Amino acid sequence: MSTEHDHGHDFPPMSSVKRWFVTTNHKDIGILYTITALFFLLLGGMLAMLMRVQLWEPGATILSEGAYNQAVSAHGLIMIFWFISPFAFGFANYIVPLQIGADDLAFPRLNAMSYWAYLFSGLLFIVSFFQGGTFSGGWTMYAPLNVPTYMPNIGGTTVVLALIMFVAAVTMGSVNFITTIYRMRAPGLRMRDLPMFSMSILLTVWMMLFAFAALLAALMILGAQHLVGVNYFNVDGGSLLWTHLFWFFGHPEVYIVFFPALGVMAEVFQTFTGRRLVGRKWFVLSMVLVALQSFIVWMHHMFLTGINLEIKTLFMVTTIGISLPFDLMVFSLIYTMIKGRIRYTTPFLFCLGALVLFIIGGITGVFLGAVVLDYEFRGTYWVVAHFHYVMFAGGTALIGGLYYWFPKITGKMYDEFLGKAQFALFFVGFNLLYFPMFSAWETPRRVFVYETGLAFWHKVATVGGFLLGLSVLVMLYNLFKSLAVGEEVGDNPWEYATSAEWAVSSPPPLENFPGIPDYRGGKLSFLDESDLTADGGTATDGGTAETSAATGTGTATGGALATAEQALATEVVESEPEHADHASYWPVVVCFAGFLAFLGLSGVREGGFYPWLAIAGGLLSAVGFVGLAQESFHAPEPGFAEQWPFEGVENMKLGMWTFLGSDIVLFGGFIGSYLFLRVANGWMHWHEAFIPEEHVVMPGLINTYLLLASSFAVVLALVAAERNSSRGVIASLTATWLLGVGFLVNKAIEWEHLFHIHTEAFPEGWALGTNVASSTFYLTTGLHAAHVIVGLIMLMYMIPRAMRGAYLGENQDSLEYFGLYWHFVDIVWLFLFPLFYIL
Amino acid sequence: MARTKLYTAIFVVLMVFSTTQALVEMTGLLEEAYWVAFGLIIALSTIKAVFVAGYYQHLRWEPRAVTYLALGGVFVALALTTAAAYSIL
Repeated sequence: MSTEHDHGHDFPPMSSVKRWFVTTNHKDIGILYTITALFFLLLGGMLAMLMRVQLWEPGATILSEGAYNQAVSAHGLIMIFWFISPFAFGFANYIVPLQIGADDLAFPRLNAMSYWAYLFSGLLFIVSFFQGGTFSGGWTMYAPLNVPTYMPNIGGTTVVLALIMFVAAVTMGSVNFITTIYRMRAPGLRMRDLPMFSMSILLTVWMMLFAFAALLAALMILGAQHLVGVNYFNVDGGSLLWTHLFWFFGHPEVYIVFFPALGVMAEVFQTFTGRRLVGRKWFVLSMVLVALQSFIVWMHHMFLTGINLEIKTLFMVTTIGISLPFDLMVFSLIYTMIKGRIRYTTPFLFCLGALVLFIIGGITGVFLGAVVLDYEFRGTYWVVAHFHYVMFAGGTALIGGLYYWFPKITGKMYDEFLGKAQFALFFVGFNLLYFPMFSAWETPRRVFVYETGLAFWHKVATVGGFLLGLSVLVMLYNLFKSLAVGEEVGDNPWEYATSAEWAVSSPPPLENFPGIPDYRGGKLSFLDESDLTADGGTATDGGTAETSAATGTGTATGGALATAEQALATEVVESEPEHADHASYWPVVVCFAGFLAFLGLSGVREGGFYPWLAIAGGLLSAVGFVGLAQESFHAPEPGFAEQWPFEGVENMKLGMWTFLGSDIVLFGGFIGSYLFLRVANGWMHWHEAFIPEEHVVMPGLINTYLLLASSFAVVLALVAAERNSSRGVIASLTATWLLGVGFLVNKAIEWEHLFHIHTEAFPEGWALGTNVASSTFYLTTGLHAAHVIVGLIMLMYMIPRAMRGAYLGENQDSLEYFGLYWHFVDIVWLFLFPLFYIL
Repeated sequence: MARTKLYTAIFVVLMVFSTTQALVEMTGLLEEAYWVAFGLIIALSTIKAVFVAGYYQHLRWEPRAVTYLALGGVFVALALTTAAAYSIL
């Protein structure tokens, strides 16, 4: 299976352990994701087995109350965060670049960092078990159970930090996939023609980008509550605030989990019915609609809270409404089967099974979307059964995907008999496990004491659970055995599979394709350099291209195709020896440092070795980032690619804008939390009750002037760069840095003053934990200050480079990307200033 | 050069608007007509943000899709904030 010789350089072979620590290749990362996700499936599965054993009879004592709570919470968190989505993203990493005709993701090192952050976040979670117990407040982490008063053990804090690290991994992945899919498609591959799996991943990462940012806001606030004692989720309205933030993420998360599975189902149905998806266009439009609607249904998880009836009714309507596009997708899949000729292979059986399970999950979910019925079902095993039928239906399709792409990834065919045997065990086990929960629905969720009359159903469920577990072991045996002695396969072992991954060898070579993939002729072909030279770089698809033969650089408009000369120039860049292997140690170093830092932070209030661990992690991460910045690593822009609607926007710029899109929602979460708590505590009452008179406008106004001036200085730096004025660039960047430092100094003086005021209303000063207003003020403006500090650190790297003549003329891109970030920080302050100083 | 003059003019406008926001508080308008002053101050912040995004971040000269990307984030943040706040009114 080794393909390392294809590149003709010293990239470590796949048999080398070093390869797996330094690789940035998307296929390697895909394999790492898949294996790691399967490990977490086993871990989460074992916790589920413990729960099922405990539930064999009511009130069993195999696990203590606390241990059972930990098992329930950890099972949910591990399966949802560390298993199912990363499992899908194993395929996404491996398959999407192949399907769209790219040689890798846009940012290979970022991709490696995303994986390592995912792995180390999972390890951090595992460590939490050994820190006085892990988080035990349920996977939804409802407040106030999640605050330090009720979750005092270090392990509980560690889980919050592990989730923050996981979200960082997700955000890096989202930025990377969005940039890749928009900017690196093969010529002629229009957005509407994306293969179904790639389409599903694109919509998934859009949802991830925004939904996980809201979760990040919730987690950062919760982390701050644990580490520095701010008051958010323990004050009036705090519990409700958590549910808003959590479910604003949580409901899109259902589709984040299920969309890749839908993509797999669509691919597998097409291949094994030998027919194009019936109503493909409507299927795609339905997915787009669901992705949009997913952000306006979250309050159906809150029907039993104190939110008003009007909003409950509105969200009931939106929730019922979101089932309609799903109906269309289900019928599309059913008609594809009717119109086609089915071959009952293992991947097809799993995807067909997933469809059946999803239909059951969907129908039972409609009950929960209705306010009145939800009053009865909320908090019962009906909910448990329903969401397992939905989420694990997704898992079922993804197992189908594993069988489907196993021959492509390994070059070996799996054992069909064992695959079908596993499906039989899996499907029977699944339904024995979850269907009885509908009968035993009156069992309270997360509690192991239940009415004795329900014991029969729970015994059946436990038997089903063990059958399901056994089926996973059969799958692992099948895959391991097939890897060793399976029959070798060619490029395409599946008749009628048409997407591009099946047009290359199994496994594909390191560089993916034998030439430059091209769809302009209506089907996939591979161009070599002579084709490009003959073609002359003429743009198609309604676009125009211009080029400078002398420089080999070109610009494209409309049709999004750059020039052939550019492509050739890119080829030359790719073959530069120092960039050829795309190996880097730094992603794993940075993420290991993050692991140490977060582990240290988890117990920093306890003292001991924890603060030292945090410091060591911080220092190592600094070394890691410097290493990343200094390393010679070049991921070339695709010179010859379909890039609508982001033609002319370089990969790095689109990546930065995508990250900023996520950051907007992060700040939105913080500012929204402040506004929500202010409404909850009385808008006009806020100033009178919670804010000292010493908190005045002037420090905020001065900081507004400083930040606006610093933004203007960045603009001047760019103007100077255009004029090739090195001194102008240096002076402007230095001015930006000084103004930024001034902003922080002014803030420090203001905070110091407020911390130590002694008034009748605030005799102990106005500190982080004094009241809800001080907490929201310090935390929100503190997050902004952290962004300023990050910007200043970037400047400390850029100014010395500017002194060596960087950023002039055509090389001003990095300056512009920094400017995008800095101006965004400025814009955020333009709202923080009135909200926290004037209104 | 023309572009530099434009950037400078925008900088002046941003500073003036910021000062105006503070003056709204200092002149007592906030006490007299809170929600009018609230609307005025937030409108000024929004205009300032549009200037910075449109000109300093060059959104005006980028493909529209980049603007839509940023607006997507703004829409999501506003949806969360407004619906959550409305739910407890």
